[in-house]
Amino acid sequence: MIKKLALIDCNNFYASCERAFNPKLNGVPIVVLSNNDGCVIARSNEAKALGIPMGEPYFKMRDLAKANGVVVCSSNYALYGDMSNRVMRIIKRYSPEQEVYSIDESFINLSGMSIDLIKYMQQLKKQVKNWTGIPVCVGMGRTKVLAKLANRVAKKYAKFNGVFDIDELPKARFNNLLKTVDIGDIWGLGSKSKIKLNALGLSNALEFCGANKSLIQSVLGVSAVRIQKELLGESCLALELLRPAKKQIVSSRSFGHSLVSFDEVNQALTCLARKAVNKLVVDHLGCLSMSVFIRTNPFSKKQAYVNFSKSIKFVNPLYSDRALLPVVSQLLRQIYQTQHQFYKGGIVLTRLVPRGAQYDLFGRVDKGTLTLDKASHKSLLSHVISANEIGNNRWLSNAEHRSPRYTTQWQELLLVE
Amino acid sequence: MRQSTHGGARSGAGRKKNSGLFKEETKVLRVPLSLLETVKDSLKIYRAQLNSSIELLLPQDSPKGVNIPIFTSSVQAGFPSPADDYLEDKLDLNKYLIQHKEATFFVRAQGDSMLGAGIHSGDILVVDKSLKAISGKIVIAVVDGDFTVKRLHKYGGKITLKAENDAFDDIKITSDTELIIWGVVTSVIHRCD
Repeated sequence: MIKKLALIDCNNFYASCERAFNPKLNGVPIVVLSNNDGCVIARSNEAKALGIPMGEPYFKMRDLAKANGVVVCSSNYALYGDMSNRVMRIIKRYSPEQEVYSIDESFINLSGMSIDLIKYMQQLKKQVKNWTGIPVCVGMGRTKVLAKLANRVAKKYAKFNGVFDIDELPKARFNNLLKTVDIGDIWGLGSKSKIKLNALGLSNALEFCGANKSLIQSVLGVSAVRIQKELLGESCLALELLRPAKKQIVSSRSFGHSLVSFDEVNQALTCLARKAVNKLVVDHLGCLSMSVFIRTNPFSKKQAYVNFSKSIKFVNPLYSDRALLPVVSQLLRQIYQTQHQFYKGGIVLTRLVPRGAQYDLFGRVDKGTLTLDKASHKSLLSHVISANEIGNNRWLSNAEHRSPRYTTQWQELLLVE
Repeated sequence: MRQSTHGGARSGAGRKKNSGLFKEETKVLRVPLSLLETVKDSLKIYRAQLNSSIELLLPQDSPKGVNIPIFTSSVQAGFPSPADDYLEDKLDLNKYLIQHKEATFFVRAQGDSMLGAGIHSGDILVVDKSLKAISGKIVIAVVDGDFTVKRLHKYGGKITLKAENDAFDDIKITSDTELIIWGVVTSVIHRCD
């Protein structure tokens, strides 16, 4: 059976989501900002062409944006998440095996399908575009690393019309291609590996392929050897069809304003804890440990940087908002100090266990799961809330340029005349 | 007279039967001009379905989320509910309104230009982006960057977006207009309050 994997990758996903509901943005440079409008996390091709780098702080590029008519969007994760789900479900129709790799990338297994795969993937590309408005490119190869590389080619060269199978390349042309790929751009090798490999005199993918296996292993470990094998066509990385079980749930945020008073910080952390507990409930998990942390701005010149955190372990797993939210304030009281301006904070739930698991026979059992918790599970967004969640909301992130949440809020639907 | 062995019909010659555009026998039919584009469009869709052998491989939709009714009455004690044998699936408006859930979006109508089609200001329109916009359908169009809901009309190679309210002008699409058909309106949700 011929092994064939495809990587479907959405083109400039966040920018494409914005364009799907605002066609005036077609052809216009777009940048999307991180939570709290901090720095650039996504760019349209036009914005890339202007030389706006990834991760650029917003305040540094504000003038450039104005001068070049760059449209600045706050991140709209409600919209991006919903559009991602739609795209992934359409992709799933094309193969029995799918790995959703990230919000905008998915691997599927096409092995053993005796049809014209280029045509098949062209159809996928067309269907995703027609159904959702999101453009995608498809790369195919015998291994994940090759499919990823093929996707790069499909994106880069218009003549492939967005679909490229790297296994179709004759050996000589394949090698020529590898020569043009920087070693840091190989999927699975990061910037640290790049530095080490460069030190060995290896700079492109072809040289990496030809390098001695045991040398690679001694410098970077066995995972880099797997990448090398994958690049040479030997499949080592299987599709991950099931999402690995969650190890921890983190809910953290940079605050919209620096917070000083205990009540403000307490509101922020309790609200963040609510988000974490909601995830716990949806995944049918309980937690045996919780941490809270707060820190000041590390870049501030006016005040010293502090970073406080505190953890607690539970005898029996806790599942519910009723049990967990009060613990947040208790922990916070132990680390909070008046004279600081807190800039970021969060909650981490760890040692996650499946619901219903029994631990200490004599410990207090969290019965909250049965009542309040059930009510909030039914409708995660409208429920009984804890008094600590109410406050002046100064912690809420800035999202001055957020587009409407077109697909998840009745009040924010697209308007048509 | 001696029968000629040359000329005349030869068996097996000519185009094979059922090998045409539609892979079956066809018939000539008179069509009113105003409906010509509509008929052409629907034939086009039919032909596309005939010719896409690949499409047939695809499962229609994931069969997830089928709710199976359970029996409500407990046994023994008491009298069993006579309705138990007649339990059916609950009516689901999503199933009724949404054909392709990945391609379906809700948008809100503003203004009265489509009053005649039963679209009131504030109504929610169910829009399916996967459907082909054929002449006569109500569509969400983007005209020079602006969204509008109108009835699509194709006639004699010309495209018009028709309002269904005399107080509004139709939008004639010229070669200078940039037109994107964003989706096809499949239902209107109107609240009576």
